[in-house]
Amino acid sequence: MTAAGESIGRRPAAYREPGRPADTSAARSRLPVSVVALSAATGVLVVAAAYTAGHLGHAGASWADHMYWLGQLLILIPVAARLLSRRALVASETVTIVVVLTVAEYLVKVCYSPAAFTYADELMHWRTATDIVQTGKLFTPNNLLPISPYYPGLEEVTSALASITGLSIFTSGLIVAGAAHLLFVCVLFVLFRYVSGSHRIAGVALLLYSSESLFQSFDSMFVYQTLALPFLGLTVLAVYRLAAPRAAGGRAGWFTLAALSAFATVVTHHVTSYLLVATLEVVTLGALVARDRRLVAWASILALVSAAAFAAWIVFVAPWTVGYLQPVIEGALQGFRALLTGGHPGAPPPASAANGPLENQALSAAAVLIMSVLVPVGWWQVWRRYRHQAWTAALAIGAVSWYVIVAVRLFVANGSELAGRASTFVFVPAGFIAALAVIRLTDNSLRWPVIRADVRRRAPVVVAVAVVAALVLVLNGLVNGWPPYWERLPGPYQVAGAERSVGPEQVASADWALAVLGPGNRFATDEGDMPVLGSYGDQNTVGDDGYLYTSPAFTQAATQQVQAQSIGYVLVDQRLSEMLPASGQYFPVDPNAGEYTRPLPLADLTKFNHVPGVARIYDSGNIVIYDLKGSAYYGP
Amino acid sequence: MDRSQADVAATALVAALACGAAASGAPTAAMTVLGIMLFAAPGYLLGQLLVGSRTAGLERVAVMAGLALAVPVLGGLLLYAVGVPLHRPGWLGLLAGVTLAGDVVLFLRRRAGRAAPFSWQPAWRVPRWQAAAFAAAVLVAAGAVGLARIGAAIQPQPGFTQLWLSPQQQKAHILSFGVTNDQGGTTSYRLVLLLNGQTSATWNLTLVNGQTWQRWVSFTGKYALTANLYRLPDLTHPYRYVSTGSTKAAGS
Repeated sequence: MTAAGESIGRRPAAYREPGRPADTSAARSRLPVSVVALSAATGVLVVAAAYTAGHLGHAGASWADHMYWLGQLLILIPVAARLLSRRALVASETVTIVVVLTVAEYLVKVCYSPAAFTYADELMHWRTATDIVQTGKLFTPNNLLPISPYYPGLEEVTSALASITGLSIFTSGLIVAGAAHLLFVCVLFVLFRYVSGSHRIAGVALLLYSSESLFQSFDSMFVYQTLALPFLGLTVLAVYRLAAPRAAGGRAGWFTLAALSAFATVVTHHVTSYLLVATLEVVTLGALVARDRRLVAWASILALVSAAAFAAWIVFVAPWTVGYLQPVIEGALQGFRALLTGGHPGAPPPASAANGPLENQALSAAAVLIMSVLVPVGWWQVWRRYRHQAWTAALAIGAVSWYVIVAVRLFVANGSELAGRASTFVFVPAGFIAALAVIRLTDNSLRWPVIRADVRRRAPVVVAVAVVAALVLVLNGLVNGWPPYWERLPGPYQVAGAERSVGPEQVASADWALAVLGPGNRFATDEGDMPVLGSYGDQNTVGDDGYLYTSPAFTQAATQQVQAQSIGYVLVDQRLSEMLPASGQYFPVDPNAGEYTRPLPLADLTKFNHVPGVARIYDSGNIVIYDLKGSAYYGP
Repeated sequence: MDRSQADVAATALVAALACGAAASGAPTAAMTVLGIMLFAAPGYLLGQLLVGSRTAGLERVAVMAGLALAVPVLGGLLLYAVGVPLHRPGWLGLLAGVTLAGDVVLFLRRRAGRAAPFSWQPAWRVPRWQAAAFAAAVLVAAGAVGLARIGAAIQPQPGFTQLWLSPQQQKAHILSFGVTNDQGGTTSYRLVLLLNGQTSATWNLTLVNGQTWQRWVSFTGKYALTANLYRLPDLTHPYRYVSTGSTKAAGS
């Protein structure tokens, strides 16, 4: 057995690392890995400079935007060129390049909000972690994301680190999220390397995986999925080891690791738990296809263990999970049903792409096309070389999900977000299968008759095409991922502008609400202020409250809704009358999303000053808070 | 204890040092180093015990890191179940306890010849100039984060002043009445409290940036209270105002 355990499990007999002269030490690249790392670090520095320009008021300047993309290219081009190059890379170099890519993109994410969490989902989990640190207890209600306290894995680790070290929850959260994200990438690399028998394929597969739209954002944010993913990966890795002919370290140890990882997944994130079970079932299916009885047994056992743990957690600890996930699942199923029965699926077809500029849509279309072409080529490779290899068969089956999310994105109502969230998982098999295609196309191109005549001259062209294709994929992930084009750079306040709606005045008003009013009050607020008020302020915000802000006067109809929603306070940010919403919607649930052509009238926002019994209890200039209790909204 | 148990001794030492440093109120910098080492120690030991030293390289590191993260996740649940508060002593007890228990088991297994002895062999050597380039990359990346932090800190933010007049939580008859200056510098105000439209009290305030002025006001609900805050020298237009009841306030 080699140091990295290459001999463990069933190595695919067909594939070997390319052994041509170009891959020998005599043909080592002139671009050392350390230079790739230095270039990536310089790229992060250039992006940080662009972000600083944004902070200083140049967020809309094209030169600042160009600086951001220059920084990204300094990170991506050397990484892609080195991974796709046919010149020799040893395993440790491939790992280093993958780590450099992951860390560099994570630092880009950190540089966007380097002083505090500003992304809505991160603020939700910051609230749960803060509650654990302050109370020393789990399961404290979280008004902003009620399901979060019942999957406390991320917040447990973070609060433990913060408590022991004395670091802030923000800094501890960055460390935990960064470590978890890097760990997931490393586990994927190990798995891909074992399955393919090639660190080169594993490296390219990780490069393609990094092109999924959430890699640089949601998958490395301080959110529960970020920590659940490496636990899922470790469970699958343990299954690989358990099913290997010679399980290094003993099967009892690997089974314990698999069980611990599965339990940790269940405690940390609901959807990842579900997908862990689904993953193990797909592995079982692949093992059945390849007639690998040992793998069928172990994958089935771990799928059962995971499913039992997940079910027990839902029944005994987190029964609200069903109600939380039900609307999302039902919405997707309705869209599919409508699609299959020929009805209207509920959304204009290119709903996702319509949200961005034309060049973003073009890049998105190109990326979808490239992946859609690569996956069948990868399948062909699987059929030719790996069809008796259970893990590759499982990944080939899993790659079908690529076409499912393309269909969801195009045809299902709100399918863009669903497809985006699913891409974290779908790109695992799809990236691997596409990597088989990329490696085969770049290597085999040297055998094409037309090229054979002038191999030395043409080979770089083929690699360059592969690099460009990979860059299109990764850049698409960045362009159409998060942050969106309207807040690519941090900068001054924007109405309903996600991170750019988080500022000192919002935080001050939220802190005031918690200090004076106490936690958990029912608050009406807008899209931009909601995450801050719900996290820093620990208030129970209402999503469907646009009616309160879009009528010029008090109406009796509003009283019924206010009472039905038990709204006690209204937070009015008067800047809603000065700007259109950057995200297209003023309110969390906004039936007029994307249709606003002018800002809300100021009179609609200030009408509360004249409603009998309404108390104007807080005023910070832009933000005013009204107390509706005892007012006309609750009776004459 | 010979070198074959060096890792056992090292992890036990980390646990003892971390607990000692926490008990003596060591500064955050020291606790950060010891805390992160204490986080890693259970993962290392559990990795040694579960999958042995026969795994190597990246896989070994990944398994140990995953176990290190799983210990507080699953251990925190156990602590909560038995009623131990999840504060510093509880977390320290959990991580140090798992570390020391792992040390004992690994020590005994090695003594019995059922676990491989500790050995340290660097996986690969990096040429000096490459190491220098990596070090430069780390410095540049750290500089990038520093630049981003400076950029966020110097972002121009419009100043603001908070004025409030509100019933407190669970004390509806006592109003919290206050002003906080977040204008970015020392600011002078005049605060006027009106009772049913008549001036009840006036305060001249000079607050430095971040300073809060606060009072409590009894409130029966039978009269209307309005507070107008003027930012000097302008005494004609209220800069902020709050009110209870339905009276039309000055700034409306």
